[in-house]
Amino acid sequence: MIRNALAETALTLAIVFVVVALVLVPLAMTQADPVGVVTTFLFGPFKSIRHIGNIIELATPSMFCGLAVALILRAGMFNLGVEGAFFLGGLGTVAAALILPLPGPWLAPAALLAGAVIGSSVCVVPGVLRARYGASELVSSLMLNFAALFIGLYVLNVWLRDPAAGAMVSFKIPADARLPRLIEGTRIHIGVLLALAACGLGALYLFRTAGGFESRIAGANPSFAAHLGLDVARIGLRAQILGGLIAAFGGGIEMLGLYQRFSWQALPGNGWTGVTVAILARDHPALVIPAALFLGWLQVGGDLVARNFDIPNEAVGLMQALLLVTVTAAALTRNPRLLRAFGARSPGAAR
Amino acid sequence: MIDLLGLVPAILRVSTPLILAGLGVHVSSRAGVLNIGIEGMMLAGALAGVVISALTQNAWLGLVAALLAGAVLAALLSVAIHLLRADLVLSGIALNMAALAGTTLALFALTGDKGISSSLPSLTLPMVRLPLIDDIPILGPLLSGHNVLTYAGLLAVPLVAILVNRTPLGLAMRAVGENPEAAAATGVPVLRVQVTALLISGLFAGAAGAFLSMGYVSWFSQNMTAGRGFIALAADVMGFGYAWGTMAAALLLGTTEAITLSLQGFGVPSELLQAIPYLVPVLAMVIHARRRKRREAH
Repeated sequence: MIRNALAETALTLAIVFVVVALVLVPLAMTQADPVGVVTTFLFGPFKSIRHIGNIIELATPSMFCGLAVALILRAGMFNLGVEGAFFLGGLGTVAAALILPLPGPWLAPAALLAGAVIGSSVCVVPGVLRARYGASELVSSLMLNFAALFIGLYVLNVWLRDPAAGAMVSFKIPADARLPRLIEGTRIHIGVLLALAACGLGALYLFRTAGGFESRIAGANPSFAAHLGLDVARIGLRAQILGGLIAAFGGGIEMLGLYQRFSWQALPGNGWTGVTVAILARDHPALVIPAALFLGWLQVGGDLVARNFDIPNEAVGLMQALLLVTVTAAALTRNPRLLRAFGARSPGAAR
Repeated sequence: MIDLLGLVPAILRVSTPLILAGLGVHVSSRAGVLNIGIEGMMLAGALAGVVISALTQNAWLGLVAALLAGAVLAALLSVAIHLLRADLVLSGIALNMAALAGTTLALFALTGDKGISSSLPSLTLPMVRLPLIDDIPILGPLLSGHNVLTYAGLLAVPLVAILVNRTPLGLAMRAVGENPEAAAATGVPVLRVQVTALLISGLFAGAAGAFLSMGYVSWFSQNMTAGRGFIALAADVMGFGYAWGTMAAALLLGTTEAITLSLQGFGVPSELLQAIPYLVPVLAMVIHARRRKRREAH
């Protein structure tokens, strides 16, 4: 069993390596110094404390979104509202921080709670529609992402906008509500500890509680779960509420941790990155942590290459897209011959 | 307050990409493949049209390139889901990510600019003056003088309806979409039918993209589809499985967008209006699902 699990992990790592090389090498060849491109991409992110800080900064929202997606997918739900929940969570948190008349130490927790509840609606509404009417949560969540964006921009424009600022941004987030920084010389804030804790708790919930067990059964085999007498609709809804709250909380953490004002004019894309993270982690909450750090490393590497060479950082988007396909490709990851090549014993028995 | 008659050209202009892409979603959905990658296919078509029309100085070759770009991405999606057996939804998301990143990389490689293609001398597709109708007062200016792809989109509606409802391929598509195992058991080549439907979907997406960059405006800009592919998905959902329904939904959603655009600059907060095209489909889905549930209960 363990041997097969290891083979699966090794195969996934090999796929990841091939994908990164497939994108990076041809792009590097277009430059005068291809070796410089590759070394900058791979090792540049570790050359200074500031860049290592950037990796952790980028991994923090990815952990929240990845965890949210993993919990939702585990319950067999295909709710893509995480993107909108993250956005609306950030907006709701900033709005609450600006409006709530609370003393200093209470402001951030209250604002984050309010933001999580507000933002989670993007995941909860499709969940309710699925549970009550059987309407596809996939399509409605894709729609509501954009609805959340425009309703959020309306709130920003009408209630939160600072007329003194040139662009469409909110008033300054009160200093009391900002999250404390952890390490001098970086922007790493206390949110990363909360993200790590959330992933740990997510793993405990999924593998050590009755609720998580129900969720895994309902996700793996809904008709079997229904035969057991489990309320599959309710279990699915619970996962979507939980995922929405986590993603929206992540959006709030991002705002209070890194931003002075709310300034997003479009969906930030963290939810989609979260989908890639969850897929790389094979929907395991604990593995979300390394997967998020890995994507953070790619993003910082891509940014460094973009700054020093004529290669836009969109190259990383291309890698993410290829990873999403190849890591879910059953023909690759369930291929008995490939698995055996990586040391699995009996083909198909893995997992 | 709003001059609806004066809005007709704007409505048709805004609705054209929604009708074309909506039909694309419709065709693949009939064969059981929800084409979430439609947004990315449109984006690729938009860029290909601009680049090839600029290189060849021929707008029609640009259109052909756009159609091909959409079809090539559809073929890639088919490779992902059929050959590599990757997840359909995740592959669609990946396709959108890859198209956004890929078009930006290509634009940068060609122009040195990540944002916009204005340095490329690209062409636009012609407006068509309908003979006879053009001379009718009031009606003439409403119906005549639109982009060739607007007419192509409207003409494609009955053609798609015939394809889906009246041809062997359409029957096979619906059989596969309803129940692939049963269809396979009766000898329908499921794989070939799904690939064909996806390729048609990609052609429509390419046309929608070409309209955006060679009709709606005359340039390509980063992420210029801006969620229109998802509105096209919505139009198909609201069309309840009919090509005519998809067109009606696309026109309805296009009308709200046209009104939004015409109200901009009048101090009306347009953001709430912009949300409507994404909220209406959700309501339509609920109504549809409720009706289906009640029917099943009887």
